[in-house]
Amino acid sequence: MTYTKRNVRLYLANRSFVLLIPVFILALMLLISIAIAAIIGIPQGLPLRPEISDGTRGNMGPIFSVPGFLVSVGAFAMNRNFSMALAFGSTRRHFWAGTSIGFVLTSLVVGLVSLLCLWLELLTNHWFIGAHAFDVYVLGDGNAAQTFATMAVLSLLCLFLGAFFGTVFRAFGGTWTTVAALAFGALILGSVALGVAHGSTVLSWFASMGLWLPILVVTVLAAVAASGSYVVNRFATV
Amino acid sequence: MTTIDPERGIHLCGVTKSFGDNTVLRGVTADLPAGRIYGLLGANGVGKTTLMSLICGHSFRSGGTILIDGQDPTENAAVLENLCFVHEDQRYNDNFTIAHILAIMPAFYPHWSEQTAQRLIRAFRLPMKTKSKKLSRGQRSALAITLSLASRAAYTFLDEPYLGLDATSRTLFYEELLREYAAHPRTFILSTHLIDEAAELMEVVLILDDGVVAVHTDVDEARRSSFIVRGRAPEVRSLIGDREVLAERSMGAVVSATVRGHVTDDDRYAAHRDHLSLEDASLQEYVAAIGIHSLTHDSHAPAKDVA
Repeated sequence: MTYTKRNVRLYLANRSFVLLIPVFILALMLLISIAIAAIIGIPQGLPLRPEISDGTRGNMGPIFSVPGFLVSVGAFAMNRNFSMALAFGSTRRHFWAGTSIGFVLTSLVVGLVSLLCLWLELLTNHWFIGAHAFDVYVLGDGNAAQTFATMAVLSLLCLFLGAFFGTVFRAFGGTWTTVAALAFGALILGSVALGVAHGSTVLSWFASMGLWLPILVVTVLAAVAASGSYVVNRFATV
Repeated sequence: MTTIDPERGIHLCGVTKSFGDNTVLRGVTADLPAGRIYGLLGANGVGKTTLMSLICGHSFRSGGTILIDGQDPTENAAVLENLCFVHEDQRYNDNFTIAHILAIMPAFYPHWSEQTAQRLIRAFRLPMKTKSKKLSRGQRSALAITLSLASRAAYTFLDEPYLGLDATSRTLFYEELLREYAAHPRTFILSTHLIDEAAELMEVVLILDDGVVAVHTDVDEARRSSFIVRGRAPEVRSLIGDREVLAERSMGAVVSATVRGHVTDDDRYAAHRDHLSLEDASLQEYVAAIGIHSLTHDSHAPAKDVA
């Protein structure tokens, strides 16, 4: 565990980058959501009328705000920290394990902060003006477990995707990164095609899962990206 | 403090490394007992950095055996934790400052010396809050030296450690290296092109040439291993006899030849008699001559474009 912990420390060396900035991004998304709701309320007064307030439940901000940054965190962590870890006497597998634990920590922070924001949002009757930022359809319409799971698993997927493509880029260059991206896309499309081909049984089972379905899909994709980053990492060189 | 065990060291046997069709190392064999300062020398592209990377597991060998303290270092955590190899072009996380990097070092090195690190940071005037991507070439070298020496790793690899450093900083590095080595004996493997300047540090030199270890000897022996004779061509050739000429330059009728071998009393007599200049080659001249000899005689010359 000591060998892995060293690499967790390496990942967490710049805590503001891997833990605080995702929180700031969520906070910024929240502020923008409140600002938009306030602007909507200018002609008809605040708080928003219930039917207008319900319209802001379609806010996709939570799931579109953090992925870009987290992909870059994952790519930086695997790409640049890798050469540091090896320089300082780490093995590849301990580096991967330590960094993966770091990814889980970042994901937990994003999930927990989203949960906290949801709780505050409900407590304040949607920030006093009927603005929806976390109590939204895409996070389970106020379901705490689904809000936490969606944000945490989405973060994990983004981090491991960044890690996977960052590792491929470092190990094999831009051409193979493009090939890997196409292969990943083909995997997703293939999975969808498989589901459709197997007809109504599979689809009805999936349909019964509701929002847990995309959470499951994202979890599986995160696992695939994690496995891919592990395999590529074992063969990567400085 | 790291203690030196006479049974410890690095064992290389027939180590090869190819990049596609380009074979850089063709069978490196050497035993490097622990607790010495080694100079890893040779021309550009001869494979010095590649060899150090293979030993440290930063890249994978194509063939041969590498053992550190009797164990294969490949993905061997117990062995690798005793190694520190900050590359000459080391990449750091762009978002890390020097302070971030220093903060994690004790986690990697149980014998990490904060005192040494802080002393070097002050001496090199390294800016603690500057992000790594903003560091100059000299600052990057100074950081690499700081991390390497303060790590107190049992095996510390220094790859061109003072690129971009001025004479004062280089002198500081030599002093600190010797101070660390005296206080905490361990193994240093130093690759450099400033050979004469660093020669005083080295105890043993390995000269790589054409993918193999061409010379592996103590530094004093290496310094006596060649000499330079200058004068009119016929007399120079007469003095050289059938000894190996490593490099030769001619300016009109005057020839300057670097010759492998020791200077004998007969050589001195002949030089005096024929008005020839005769002197021991410096270590740098010896290494350069081996490189030139390799370029002019080496059938594998196209393989020289890999560091």
